[in-house]
Amino acid sequence: MSGEDFDALDRGDNDGQKSDKMFTLKKWNAVAMWSWDVECDTCAICRVQVMDACLRCQGESKKDSYGKQDCVVVWGECNHSFHFCCMSLWVKQNNRCPLCQQEWSIQRMGK
Amino acid sequence: MITLNRKLKKEHTVPSNGLASEPVKRISIRDKLLIKEVQEMNENLPMTCSVHFEDPNVLNEFILTVTPDEGYWVGGKFKFSVFVTEEYNMAPPRVKCLTRLWHPNINVDGDVCLSLLRQTSIDEHGWAPTRRLKDVVWGLNSLFTDLLNFEDPLNIEAAELYNKNKTEFQAKVQEYMTKGKR
Ligand SMILES: [Zn+2]
Ligand SMILES: [Zn+2]
Ligand SMILES: [Zn+2]
Repeated sequence: MSGEDFDALDRGDNDGQKSDKMFTLKKWNAVAMWSWDVECDTCAICRVQVMDACLRCQGESKKDSYGKQDCVVVWGECNHSFHFCCMSLWVKQNNRCPLCQQEWSIQRMGK
Repeated sequence: MITLNRKLKKEHTVPSNGLASEPVKRISIRDKLLIKEVQEMNENLPMTCSVHFEDPNVLNEFILTVTPDEGYWVGGKFKFSVFVTEEYNMAPPRVKCLTRLWHPNINVDGDVCLSLLRQTSIDEHGWAPTRRLKDVVWGLNSLFTDLLNFEDPLNIEAAELYNKNKTEFQAKVQEYMTKGKR
């Protein structure tokens, strides 16, 4: 959305209170965006954010001096994302997305 | 965190029983998940449920008591043992009913037929790693109300009696509850 539009409007209509209004609007906007992102990016299997290493890899990397373990993210055709480690364990038992029950097929992998 | 550290110390010192050949060196995935899930379960406990941990340091084993406030089993108190295996959350917890009762989905041996506790399932009702301990509690609690199922019974006799004569079914339920209290 464009902050400038509101900015201009405020200025034309109401000179005295413009700074108050602008401040409130911007703050609200930022908070809403942030919480949405977090909810979507949590791996529903291990409940760690997909951009971080999964629960399994977190426990192991501390012992490993290599520090090279790549815990990648996998997206299904259904657009749900999980850690590749977590999902590969589950599809051995049931080849469906645990969130939407669609047959699991990988759309892409990466970070 | 204190609870967890104590648990680890204990696992180091107690000699293994042969089944687990090597001592547990680090916190299992199950225990990491349980730290969050046990708290979440306690915070979301239905009014009709209570949980009891025999050993507060062992999070993977507890007793759930359901005291239904509606339906055929009102006035009864039903205990379930819940055991969370090392394979959690890829595998569902193992549940046994410890109270003898007359119920189409629980047999006299205490086996419980609840779809979300099924490891292999072709539909969306079976186990999935997205399910949590609080969902298991909710499911067991609902066996006395919403999830009560006469269509696909484990105790066939109970389901048949219900279809034949609901008054007799209710009487038999009561009879088991009185027996259980003695
Ligand atoms: Zn994960
Ligand atoms: Zn991983
Ligand atoms: Zn999906």
